[in-house]
Amino acid sequence: MVCVSDLAPASAQPPGGPESTPERSSDVAVLERPEADTPWVTLVWNDPVNLMSYVTWVLQNHFGYPRRKAETLMRDVHELGRAVVSTGSREKMEADTEAMHGYGLWATFQKDD
Amino acid sequence: MAKAFARKRGRIVGRMHASEVEVVVQLLQQTRDFVAPTRAETGDPLMDLIAGMGESDTAPMEPEDPALRRLLPSAHRSDKDQAAEFRSLTEHSLRQRKARNLDAAIAALGEAEGTKITLDNAQAQALAIALTDVRLVLGERLDLRTDEDSSALHDELRLAAQGTAMSDDLDPVRMQQMAYYDFLSWLQEGITLALMAD
Repeated sequence: MVCVSDLAPASAQPPGGPESTPERSSDVAVLERPEADTPWVTLVWNDPVNLMSYVTWVLQNHFGYPRRKAETLMRDVHELGRAVVSTGSREKMEADTEAMHGYGLWATFQKDD
Repeated sequence: MAKAFARKRGRIVGRMHASEVEVVVQLLQQTRDFVAPTRAETGDPLMDLIAGMGESDTAPMEPEDPALRRLLPSAHRSDKDQAAEFRSLTEHSLRQRKARNLDAAIAALGEAEGTKITLDNAQAQALAIALTDVRLVLGERLDLRTDEDSSALHDELRLAAQGTAMSDDLDPVRMQQMAYYDFLSWLQEGITLALMAD
């Protein structure tokens, strides 16, 4: 991901010179991350293919959850249609979502609401 | 006839008939080609390099094929921009990761001597994950959309096995896909339970 601090070097001045600075700073503003303490969540959604045993194993294996917690989350996915499987920074939730896709689970991330 | 996988002295061991291994490997290979098609090399190093660069430079779109969409799902339900940004950052590596994992599963089954399949933990994990990808594609082709669809498929197979289904209802291609799906589900369940039994 692009970080605001990575865009800082002076050598990165746009060829347009000083007059293009306002446009540049507005570009940077778009890339700013939300506050670090804003919670984001990773959701896993129910699907007709994934096995209950497999979903439980994935949650244990990836997140290190104990068997009982993994089973509770799996049942929530199965019965309620979805469950929040992790909470944290946006970057962490993106990584978790990508990992879940690697396992073949249908995961999404969003701001906690 | 296959025998369910179980954990034995730190290994995950099962039995499969050679023809069953052959079918599973074929399905793994097809899924691998589906998720990460290999580009035909031109033989000209410069042309191949340029073609390869183009692949990672274009932002990938949400796949039109629902089965591919199931392997590479959208990461945001409502925000199309966030979903597109995530896809552009992750889709290429996700395809590569799935391809590598499917290759590992194929290699693990290729090591089988006779009918006995012995897997270490990493191989069993690769196979469990790879079987998910195959089943996601097959499930989509079989129009499985809800849990009820899955139960109906199971009932349909049972009736067919008992010979009580009306023969007119049976489409041979669909019946074969259903049989594969059912076998892979059984196989994956056994490997997963063995993985959890440590």
